[in-house]
Amino acid sequence: MSPAQVEILAIAVVTAAGCALVGTFLMLRRLAMLSDAISHAILPGIVVAFFLTGDLASPWLIIAAALTGLLTVVLVEMLTRTRRLKEDAAMGLVFPALFSLGIVLITRYAGHVHLDVDAVLLGELAFAPFDRLVVGGTDLGPRHLWLMGTITLLNAGLVTVFFKELKLATFDAGLAASLGLAPALIHYGLMALVSVTAVGAFDAVGLVLVVALMIGPAAAAYLLTDRLHILLLLAVGLGALSAALGFGAAIALDASIAGCMAVAVGVVFMGVFLVAPGRGLVAEMRRRRRQKWEFARIMLTIHLVQHEGQPEEDEESRMEHLHGGHVGWTPEFTARVVAESLDRKLVTAHGDRLRLTPEGRTLAGQALSGTLT
Amino acid sequence: MSEPAVRITDLTVAYGDRPVLWDIDLDVPAGHLMAIMGPNGAGKTTLIKAVLGLVAPAAGRVEIHGDVYAKQRHLVGYVPQRGSVDWDFPTTVLDVVMMGRYGALGWFKRPGRTERDQAMTALEKVGMTEFAGRQISALSGGQQQRVFLARALVQDAQVYFMDEPFQGVDVRTEKAIVELLKDLRDRGRTVVVVHHDLQTVRDYFDWITLLNVRRIASGPVSEVFTPENLGLTYGGRVEFLAEQDDSTDTVEPHFNPDGHGRGRP
Amino acid sequence: MIDLLTGLVTDYTLRTVALGSAALGLVSGALGAFAVLRRQSLLGDAVSHAALPGIVLAYMLTGARTPLVLVLGAALAGWAASLVVMLVTRTTRIKIDTALGLVLSTFFGLGLVLLSIVQRSSGAGQAGLDRFLFGQAAALVGDDLVTMTVLGALVLVALMLLWKEFKLLSFDPAFAGAMGLPVRLLDIGLTTLLVIAIVIGLQTVGVVLMSAMIVAPAAAARQWTDHLGRLVALSGFFGAVSGLTGAILSSLVPHLPTGPTIILVVTAVTILSLFLAPRRGLLAARVRKFRQRRQLQAERVLTDLYRLAAQHPEPAEAPHAVPVLRTMTSPSGVRRCLARLSDMGLAVPDPDGRWRLTPAGVDRARDILGGDA
Repeated sequence: MSPAQVEILAIAVVTAAGCALVGTFLMLRRLAMLSDAISHAILPGIVVAFFLTGDLASPWLIIAAALTGLLTVVLVEMLTRTRRLKEDAAMGLVFPALFSLGIVLITRYAGHVHLDVDAVLLGELAFAPFDRLVVGGTDLGPRHLWLMGTITLLNAGLVTVFFKELKLATFDAGLAASLGLAPALIHYGLMALVSVTAVGAFDAVGLVLVVALMIGPAAAAYLLTDRLHILLLLAVGLGALSAALGFGAAIALDASIAGCMAVAVGVVFMGVFLVAPGRGLVAEMRRRRRQKWEFARIMLTIHLVQHEGQPEEDEESRMEHLHGGHVGWTPEFTARVVAESLDRKLVTAHGDRLRLTPEGRTLAGQALSGTLT
Repeated sequence: MSEPAVRITDLTVAYGDRPVLWDIDLDVPAGHLMAIMGPNGAGKTTLIKAVLGLVAPAAGRVEIHGDVYAKQRHLVGYVPQRGSVDWDFPTTVLDVVMMGRYGALGWFKRPGRTERDQAMTALEKVGMTEFAGRQISALSGGQQQRVFLARALVQDAQVYFMDEPFQGVDVRTEKAIVELLKDLRDRGRTVVVVHHDLQTVRDYFDWITLLNVRRIASGPVSEVFTPENLGLTYGGRVEFLAEQDDSTDTVEPHFNPDGHGRGRP
Repeated sequence: MIDLLTGLVTDYTLRTVALGSAALGLVSGALGAFAVLRRQSLLGDAVSHAALPGIVLAYMLTGARTPLVLVLGAALAGWAASLVVMLVTRTTRIKIDTALGLVLSTFFGLGLVLLSIVQRSSGAGQAGLDRFLFGQAAALVGDDLVTMTVLGALVLVALMLLWKEFKLLSFDPAFAGAMGLPVRLLDIGLTTLLVIAIVIGLQTVGVVLMSAMIVAPAAAARQWTDHLGRLVALSGFFGAVSGLTGAILSSLVPHLPTGPTIILVVTAVTILSLFLAPRRGLLAARVRKFRQRRQLQAERVLTDLYRLAAQHPEPAEAPHAVPVLRTMTSPSGVRRCLARLSDMGLAVPDPDGRWRLTPAGVDRARDILGGDA
């Protein structure tokens, strides 16, 4: 890979890491779509700041974006609180309006300048190596790398320092409040971080990828673990992986880098979705199938227990009764369940009738009393 | 009527791998006002939903007056829980009640004069005629419950299923509803109610089913509503104080390993 | 203005654009009403974004830019997206907002990748696809209009035919199921109609902003009526008017892209509706609260007068001075309240400046105090 390509990859990986850190919390707080909303809505903030400073690299752009991001969240909440709109409708109203405002400002007043609509959506990763940070005559590398690197370090630092608070506020806001941890503060702090991350990433990788990087790797990681710190690490790792894979695909296909990375996020997610041990689709299907049979065996024992010692026991313990009218099992299903139950010594067969063994009775008892593990 | 209004055999329902109803056998004779009671998570709402075909059972069969529910829908009226609906929906009281006739109307047809009249009659029975044009968002809890009841009444059913109709309702409304239900019972209809208040069982119902994942007991209130059965259903010891019913509500029910606690068949 | 109106009739482009935008607004507004009621606002956003790869693929596979083909591609992609969302949420613990964000960004990313590939192969063709991002009503031609109108009409007819079924489905799906309505099928059906409504509008408004055309007209209409039929009709009307206005504005003013303009118009309509609608509007509510408060204050002064007067043998005759009244329950605004009471005929001033109750005032005070007078 050429040095320029290495730099692009570095920027992409760093961006993925930064996005994954905040995106994980968005996902856990059921605010995933806010990543979409905020990334769209910060556009007018950036544009206005650009108009005022005339400088695309000005730090004011980041500040303006963070403020607009917070404004978006505040507007959505205000609208929801009027109770004339539900929350999802409020979101669907606010960010397209703000985004439209941004687009109109760009096309009418900045069409001839650097900002353009394609860049908004896709960023300009391909050009990033050409935009360098020069301090005192020394070339320190691509500006984006420094910018995104700083933001990612900031995210990582804040997440580490406030780990306990974030964890508590995310999973038990009530408890957090009673402990004086001000969940509202954490909430708005997180929103500000999301906005800052979005604007930092925006310039390099565009809107689309910001959302993908915030949500996708976190979702995939969610299928792999229950522990918050592992979740965060996995999200960062999977994000970096997606960035690398996407980059490779972009070079091979000679297609948009950001677009390919977004697709890679999807592919990585699909992969995890299918084969994750425990929560993946394959594991889930296997488990459901196994449970179906377990369940059926338990049902058989309960069925027998319920009718034991009753006048109808004779009738109900016949194997034909099971698939005849009432229980509703097919003959094949019944045969297999009975065979498995006999195998596991839950029942014994006496002619065409079944009788419970002590183990079978215990199993029924446990299931009925809810003590079955 | 020789056949029971509702016959449930071997009904088992599970959500994922969690069993909610186990092997339920239940006969509800026609012309009774029956309560279904049990602790939270006992499967009461699930039982209703399974009977109405809203939840697929893992096993078992349900018959309404001798035939499967799918063929007997016209005989059944349903009052879901009040909280299951967004009362901010833009519609009027009359509109909601007319919804009870949608099944009979069939596809594509619009409700007309006949349906309006039927709806107004039902509203009259629950004392809500002045509210016919009112937005449902402007109703109190008791009024909402009456509207739901009217919607079931307009179905002119033989068997009614109601899920916690007295939850969060004022005393006057509760009394009015009970009168209505008793009237239905006296005219030969069958009413099945998921109930939560042990205090009022003796006054309201003549039949009761105690449920806790499995059927604990079922039969006339006078026979089945006993401290032992309540203890089996809710766990812990139960005592009736003087003229009032009372019970200790503990967390886990437990299964008596020495007997099967099925109560009367 | 006259020129504009004559232009609408005579000028082919203007007429097409106007009609197309109106049609789009009508259909998306109508379906949007149901979407908003069923809390599917964000699903609309995801489906719009997800349509992009479908559009581009349809073009790549058929080489045709005929509207029907592209619409079909968009619909299939949108449909696939909703299926993926359902699959992920049903089989894993991932919540719907995360699934929506994931699908939205990865599908959209795929669309952008495909777009960039097309960009390189056939120059002329792809220019037509670009406009699906932000819309370009000016590019609408007769063919497009025909497709939009026919599909739109079909959607509206389906809506009318199944009106009561959709109404019940949206309000109380459990009751609908118990009645024997095929709830799953109806749900898919209504969602499909929504997908078609979205897809019709993509050419005009673009994928990024289409969701607002679903949400805003419905949110606006909800403020004016409580009747479902009128809500849907009004929502369609607002959508049509906004579409028309936005399209005309963007054709008149240079450098004003159609999609964002329409969105800004419809958002303005919504905000105005939120504030100005009678009864439900925020302004009306504020005025009501204000009036209620004034009324309460006046009533308090009235009861104060009564209590003071009750200490005398002839209650109605006993006047009291304003300073005395100020020492009672409402220290401020006493004069204003007295003036109001005087208007209502409940109190009169004496020549010496003290105030007394009229007989009507006495009665009213007794009513308010409810019998413990």
